[in-house]
Amino acid sequence: MNKVRKSEKTNVENFSFKKYAWSQFKKNKPAKFSLYLLILIIIIAIFAPYLANERPLYAKYKGKTIYPAFADETQRDSIFNEKGEFESVLQYDITDWRTLEYEKVIWAPITYDNTFQDKYNRNYVSPGGNQRYKNSKGEITKIPNKFRHYLGTDNIGRDLAAGLIHGSRIALLVGLISMGIASIIGIILGALAGFFGDTRLKMPRVKYWFTIIGVFFGMFYGFGSRKYELGEAFGQSVSSGLVQLLISFGVIIGVIILFRLFSRLLLFGFLKKEVDVPIDSFVSRGIELLNSIPRLLLIITISSIVTRSIWIVMVIIGLTSWTGIARFTRAEFFRIRSLEYVQAAQSLGFSSIRTIFKHALPNALAPVFVSIAFGIASAILIESGLSFLGIGVPADMVTWGSQLNQGRSNLEAWWVIVFPGIAIFITITVYNTIAEAMRDALDPKLKS
Amino acid sequence: MLKYTVKRILTMIPMLIGISLLAFIISINAPVDPIEKLTRSAESEGEAGSSSVATKIQKQEWRKKLGLDLPIFYFSISNFATTDTLYKVQDRDHQKNLSKLTHETGNWNAVSNYFNSLIKLERKYEKIDIKELYKQDSSLDINVLNEAKNQFGSTVKNLLANSDSRIINNGLSTLYSLINNNDFLTPLKPHVNKVKKSKNFLEANKTKWKTYIPSLNWYGFKNQYHTWLFGNGNERKGLIRGDFGFSYRDQKKVEDKIWEKIEVSFKFSLISILIAYLVSIPLGIFSAYKKDSTADRTISVVLFVLYAMPSFFVGLLLLFAFANPDTYSFFPVGGLKDPTTWNPDWKWWHWDAIEHTIPYLILPIITYTYSSFAFLSRIMRIGMIDVINQDYIRTARAKGLSEKTVILKHALRNSLLPIITVFAAIFPMAIGGSIIIEVIFSIPGIGVEILNSLTGGDYPMIITIFTISGFLTMVGYLVSDLLYAVADPRISYK
Repeated sequence: MNKVRKSEKTNVENFSFKKYAWSQFKKNKPAKFSLYLLILIIIIAIFAPYLANERPLYAKYKGKTIYPAFADETQRDSIFNEKGEFESVLQYDITDWRTLEYEKVIWAPITYDNTFQDKYNRNYVSPGGNQRYKNSKGEITKIPNKFRHYLGTDNIGRDLAAGLIHGSRIALLVGLISMGIASIIGIILGALAGFFGDTRLKMPRVKYWFTIIGVFFGMFYGFGSRKYELGEAFGQSVSSGLVQLLISFGVIIGVIILFRLFSRLLLFGFLKKEVDVPIDSFVSRGIELLNSIPRLLLIITISSIVTRSIWIVMVIIGLTSWTGIARFTRAEFFRIRSLEYVQAAQSLGFSSIRTIFKHALPNALAPVFVSIAFGIASAILIESGLSFLGIGVPADMVTWGSQLNQGRSNLEAWWVIVFPGIAIFITITVYNTIAEAMRDALDPKLKS
Repeated sequence: MLKYTVKRILTMIPMLIGISLLAFIISINAPVDPIEKLTRSAESEGEAGSSSVATKIQKQEWRKKLGLDLPIFYFSISNFATTDTLYKVQDRDHQKNLSKLTHETGNWNAVSNYFNSLIKLERKYEKIDIKELYKQDSSLDINVLNEAKNQFGSTVKNLLANSDSRIINNGLSTLYSLINNNDFLTPLKPHVNKVKKSKNFLEANKTKWKTYIPSLNWYGFKNQYHTWLFGNGNERKGLIRGDFGFSYRDQKKVEDKIWEKIEVSFKFSLISILIAYLVSIPLGIFSAYKKDSTADRTISVVLFVLYAMPSFFVGLLLLFAFANPDTYSFFPVGGLKDPTTWNPDWKWWHWDAIEHTIPYLILPIITYTYSSFAFLSRIMRIGMIDVINQDYIRTARAKGLSEKTVILKHALRNSLLPIITVFAAIFPMAIGGSIIIEVIFSIPGIGVEILNSLTGGDYPMIITIFTISGFLTMVGYLVSDLLYAVADPRISYK
């Protein structure tokens, strides 16, 4: 009895909301299980090249120890026979690794990668079906167990299991990157709108005008003058395009700052009078506008006119799904801005930016995290829907959605429908369960 | 209430303009040139006569008919170096090349000079008639002549579409060597010289600084957007009078194409939402009433699982299981009717027609329904649990009312509130959410139409669909807000 009381007492003294929320979360068994499952999926995604690879992880071939799966694709090795004479060159990218005769070998669990086309098992070979194999003597035989396509193949002989494993990378990345973009936009806009409202951000009139003019000029120099540079960079590769895009953003911000600095010269009389900046109205109208277009329609339309690339799809999903996060952040900031500690920070003379991001934001994040977790699930769903329709994602790219799409044209191939579908379903359920548990843990009032 | 409704409807107008502008911005950045698409499809039918002059005239006519010869918007923002009449250039590749050249050199006059000399060269080149030459001197080898001519032509075309200085120089030297090797091309030499001269002039007179000065060009009311919105006073009536313009693909009126498709999709979503409500409200009530019982837990888990199933996965599974000769072939694979057995005289209320259509509807409606049904039941359950714990329910029970009256009369009305919010989603779902399901079951609805328009570069259709779906979404929000007030007398809008 005494013990219990003591522990309760220390609990109250060292009460930390994070610890409390975490203990609440841990009590939720399905959520805990989902968390483990998510960690498993992440591990699969990280180690995908070593879980599914047509090259062995380790091999001893003609006296030479090699690690083909870890090596670069373009590597070439010279092979010598027992007497030390040069025999042949082993080219990593074109060798048929399965037919070599090794002294010792360790294969990856799935002996195919997502792009490898098994020409003897084309046209939807089922997992339990008659799979063919060409051995080192050139005879077509029944497939040995370690080279079996455990989950079958698709129409051009790609292994389904390998596709699923490599597809998990795309699914997780889509959730991470698109929601990363969405949270940055949503949290910043929501925080500004909620903290300042329509009346609390004041600026000298001239500064307000010059900021708007600066935005216009910034857009002109950042995007208008640089559109060919941007186009060429995106044509070369997405990464160089993103670098150029960052430079453009830098230009825009630089121009805005320049204009604001210039406006200081004009601070007198009528121009100096402070006016309200209706930042909340701007953000709210933007949210309403985006919300009144069906999201899938918007994403499909934009994806179909830009270059096909999974990265661009992620960016588009991110740019269109920040509204929910912004609304939650805004609502939280409306509540927080009138609390004593924020007012204390302001009366101590801290800058607004510091008050928002250092004092207020950490307390506003709890509901936002929940919304982000739900958002990840829906981003994955949208991406697989796009791949399913064949929009946005390059045609030769293997994603869960594009695998399902093959099932559409061939209904007999149940394995092409069932396994990717289950993969998508599990990932989405995992995120949804975690999000629900987070909501219950962070806000006991909402508990259902 | 009335005042509130009117106010809400009025605020829709700027929103709609915003949506149509967004759609417009997307459509002008589209990579597909609709005119090229139209002429190509006509050429493949073999009616354009494949003469380049004829196609040019035809392109011009189409441009005029579709209103593409007008500037895009009321104004445009460009730089000081660029001309404001670039939109008048017909060929999209030429237009792009011109704007890129201007961007690089900053000297519009020199660029247009260079370009005009190139076009003159192309015209002169087109006048060369190989057959005529052959008649005059039959010792010539007609194949060699043709090859040289074709090479010359493709180089000129290449020059017209490229702004890279190296490619231009290479092209010019190819032209010179072709002229030197083939006597019949000699008359073109002064024109090539002119091109080279203007090119050199262009290189020597770069005014790059001009591209750093923004300029605003005002085009007035004769522009594509204005025509689309208000009409041009003649055959185009404009959106506000119910004219959505012409489809680029077949030049039919957009509204003729769109309404029947929307009707199909709308019927589907309406039926499925009705079914979803009819199933989920009792289920949610039951689940909440028996909270934490085995039945409730099972229902909750099943609903949670259903909720996370992607619709395309469920649709394919249903097709695999019930429309597949290998398993059970209960239902047709897709479409809405079988043209071989469908009698065109049937109206939709005829029993034969209903009997014919129902098998086609079952699988799509299940796919449409299950996800919203799972979502609605969960919301209903949460709402009901919330209400049951309130004091007035305890009071009702304490009064000795029967459990049935308490739940169905006292609790139900208030627990409906959250579920009403979802009603707003019906209208946008009729357009946006149905794309995937319509593709799976090949239903000729608006979703499939959107996809076809996107791949065909049919932007009037897309802008229209965007605007209509935006309008319907806002109507949905308004309706659900008004329903709130009906369900809960405490809420009033003043």
